[in-house]
Amino acid sequence: MIKTNDLNKVYQTDEVETTALHQVNIEIKQGEFVSVMGPSGCGKSTLLNVLGMIDGPTSGEYLFNGEEIGHLSERKRSEIRKHNLGFVFQSFNLIDELTVFENVELPMLYTKVPSGERKKRVEELLEGMNIMHRRNHFPQQLSGGQQQRVAVARAIVNRPKLILADEPTGNLDSSNGDEVMKILSELNAEGTTVLMVTHSQYCAEFGNRIIRMLDGQVVTENVVKQYL
Amino acid sequence: MLKNNLKIAFRALSKNKVYTFVTFFGLTVGVAAALLIFRMLSYELSYNKSFENHDRMVRVVSEQTLPQEGESYTVCVPIPAMDVIMDEVPQFEKITRVKEFWVTTSLPDPNGGPPLKKFNMETDQTAFFTEPAFFDIFQPEWIIGGPAEILSEPGVIILTESFASKFYDDPAQAMGQTLVLDNVVEVEVKGIIKDFHDQTDFPVPFLSSWETMKAHRNYFFYDENMGSCSSNNQLFGLLKSQDQLEEANTVLAGISEKLYRRENQNSFRKHVLQPMSALHFDERYGHSGTHRTSMSRLRILGIVGILILIMACFNFINLATAQASLRAKEVGVRKTLGSSKRQLISQFLTETALIVFGALIFGLVLASLCLPLLQRISHVPEGINLFSDPQVWLFLGGLSILVTLLAGLYPSLVLSRFKPIRALRNQVPGNLSGGVALRKSLVVLQFVVAQGLVIGAIITLLQLDYIRSRDLGFSDDLVYTFGIGIDSSTLEKQLPLKQAFLEIPTVEKVSFNSDQPLSGNTWSSNFRYDTRPEDEQFSINLKFADTDYRETFGLSLVAGQWYEKSDTVRQCVVNETLLRKLGVERAQDAVGKSLRLGASRKVEITGVVEDFHTHSLHQEHDPLMITTRKAYYWEAGAKIRPGNIQGTLSAMQKAFDEILPEQVFEGRFLDENIAEFYADEDRLATTCKAFGLLAILISCLGLFGLAAHSAQQRVKEIGVRKVLGASTTGIVGLLSRDFLKLVLIALLVAAPLAWFLMQRWLDNFAYRIDIQWWVFVVTGGLAVLVAFLTISYQSLRAAMANPVDSLRNE
Repeated sequence: MIKTNDLNKVYQTDEVETTALHQVNIEIKQGEFVSVMGPSGCGKSTLLNVLGMIDGPTSGEYLFNGEEIGHLSERKRSEIRKHNLGFVFQSFNLIDELTVFENVELPMLYTKVPSGERKKRVEELLEGMNIMHRRNHFPQQLSGGQQQRVAVARAIVNRPKLILADEPTGNLDSSNGDEVMKILSELNAEGTTVLMVTHSQYCAEFGNRIIRMLDGQVVTENVVKQYL
Repeated sequence: MLKNNLKIAFRALSKNKVYTFVTFFGLTVGVAAALLIFRMLSYELSYNKSFENHDRMVRVVSEQTLPQEGESYTVCVPIPAMDVIMDEVPQFEKITRVKEFWVTTSLPDPNGGPPLKKFNMETDQTAFFTEPAFFDIFQPEWIIGGPAEILSEPGVIILTESFASKFYDDPAQAMGQTLVLDNVVEVEVKGIIKDFHDQTDFPVPFLSSWETMKAHRNYFFYDENMGSCSSNNQLFGLLKSQDQLEEANTVLAGISEKLYRRENQNSFRKHVLQPMSALHFDERYGHSGTHRTSMSRLRILGIVGILILIMACFNFINLATAQASLRAKEVGVRKTLGSSKRQLISQFLTETALIVFGALIFGLVLASLCLPLLQRISHVPEGINLFSDPQVWLFLGGLSILVTLLAGLYPSLVLSRFKPIRALRNQVPGNLSGGVALRKSLVVLQFVVAQGLVIGAIITLLQLDYIRSRDLGFSDDLVYTFGIGIDSSTLEKQLPLKQAFLEIPTVEKVSFNSDQPLSGNTWSSNFRYDTRPEDEQFSINLKFADTDYRETFGLSLVAGQWYEKSDTVRQCVVNETLLRKLGVERAQDAVGKSLRLGASRKVEITGVVEDFHTHSLHQEHDPLMITTRKAYYWEAGAKIRPGNIQGTLSAMQKAFDEILPEQVFEGRFLDENIAEFYADEDRLATTCKAFGLLAILISCLGLFGLAAHSAQQRVKEIGVRKVLGASTTGIVGLLSRDFLKLVLIALLVAAPLAWFLMQRWLDNFAYRIDIQWWVFVVTGGLAVLVAFLTISYQSLRAAMANPVDSLRNE
């Protein structure tokens, strides 16, 4: 599903040049649950953003489903992104002005899903996440765990092929963290590919492969459990 | 998507109340101002457009350059010249002569008693003696009577519906009745026409025939002499096609050359066509109707309206871009979820449109509430309804699109350009640093406009004060002036009327005359002084008055004495300006000398009167001669003592009605007449004041919003400074300094601009103030003070907050 060849990302300011990714070569197959670990500043979030097409690489190749997309325009990347990817962020990134229902519904507005279908899908997901009773609440009225469940619901509502999760449990206590990890595992079990950045070894082990990074480079890859 | 956008827009706006209030209130005020100005402009611009053929209608006017007096413009055409023009300009489809006149119209008592009803024409109305072709050109609509050919007969009158209804409840009853004009001319009502449209320079109450005037040629000063030119005699035409204006002007130039050019003479009268579309806006010529409006004034008004609206849009742009960082995360999330730039732009434009829509509705309501103000600054009549005016709704429709794009497009573009990765990290994109410069420039621009208008208002008020407090050279206090007939029977009753008035203990003096000391009328003549062999190179202005004129109006003699009583032109007094222009050094030297007017006999100078203002202060003193001629005394002035003014006027009314029962006693105090001369300036001052205040209000609203934003942005810095020992005053100063600098920069731009424009305005006055430096200091001080008060609320709030809270929040 994902393949990178010598992927580089360099941030340039007036005086300083920072290499965030250096010659990264990874491959993620359909149905995998891959965790990316490493110390702060090692480039794991940058890798996630580049693979999530919300940032472009400086050089190198990025193949998504066999198509080179690393150097596509923002508009084209956005097209591919909205139909194929779902995002879960550490800080939830829910829109404060929208209710739970509306936040989850939002990605479907951009993919032009008909209204009846949208309602059905949102309600199913909220039931599944056990937050249906909060459907008309605003994000500030929810606990952190509830907010992250809404964020996960939003990430999967368009039935993406790949979920990118950037420290999804970083702002949660352990029980809420477990719950989110359980949801991601279930989604993976249902066939969705998951790529997750985390600091936590415990969470990383929910995946079937762990990629470790240091100074913008992939240093090791461990198989935790056999991918079937 | 639209529903979703609207919902989000509504929630986003209710979340940030300060931002919403500032932009909404500012836009509401801006829209109301723009609406009022639009109403004023549309009112003025639709003048004379009600005539079906207005695009082909023209008036023949005269231009001449005089060696000492410069350009001269008048609407008059000498009567013999009219005949030539009517015959020799092939571009005219129709052409008609018109003579303006003002009379008292009465319905006589068949039993010979006093008139049953009598009416003066309303102020600003003018009646026409004219010919049948008038109907082809102006196309008044018949209610009863006709055809137009009745205007070729003498002794006829055609009334407008409203004038006829003054005499009869049912205007049709007026048909066939005999009315009397000025107790002299009997006319039969031969038709009733619909009233002319309100927005015309010809509010004509009735028409009479040219032949009627000719039948009373002496009374109406009908003069077939080529040298006689009265602005009451005018010529109107209907061109075959509107493109023939230039061709017709070329023919007229040839006719003028033939009629007026003498040997070795470069300057002579030239006739040109004045299109009806230009008539209301051409200030070079005197006017019928209520007023003239110069295009430049309309342009200034339009610009002020646009500026006020743009200033309100600036607030929107400023606050929206300042708030952009707060929306960054949302933009990032939306982009990540697949929103396109276009969708984001449409979302933010929806927010703008929502505010604009609300502002338009509230602006319309506010404008309606402010309509009485409009009457103070313009000629727009009372009783107009903005809600029922389709033009207003069209304007609002256009405005909604324009303002939404003007205010919303730039912020939408800025927001939609955020890179999702940076937006998610809440990193303000680099291009917002440019946004800071933009915001500062817009604040400067707002204050340039606001301070410019305030400077304009102060200067116009100072000039008005100067005009009002200037010694006019005569007394305008408690002199009641009124019109009076000049038919032979009235002339005989002048003396008994004066005696009756003087028997009223509170009436001090009464004078019959042709003109008040200061008036809009000009009588002028060529003349020669003493024994000089040729006419002077300048003309002399004339006033005709009895011997009580001096004391009634408090004029001062500097040499000699007032002339003796006479019914004809025999002796005169002249003013100091005349002597200066003649090169006579000592006033006393002129006494006993004579003036010869035109070809008439010599008039002895008995005295020299101190210069007084005969026209508004726009004009310098003219050379003047005051002399006697009873036949021209159609005005009167009565100096009354302070005290029971109403009682005095009632007593005068009673005496007038007893002696002149066929006439209407109707007048005004002299100072009211004089104030009328400066009504335009008064309106300008009120306009500058009103819109200057509005501009300051809108600018301060923007400043308030920006200060709130700035305080919010610098909350951590303020906390750290406080922990390190900064005082509240120090922090208020820190937060205010940047904004106050902008206000001062704006003053540096506004001051020279306003100085230049106001110098040009003051150049219109022969007697004017000099612009003083303190006007700019006061304006700057005022702007800084208001700006400081606006900012200080936010600054003080930020400075007095507990630093622990702000640091913990960080």
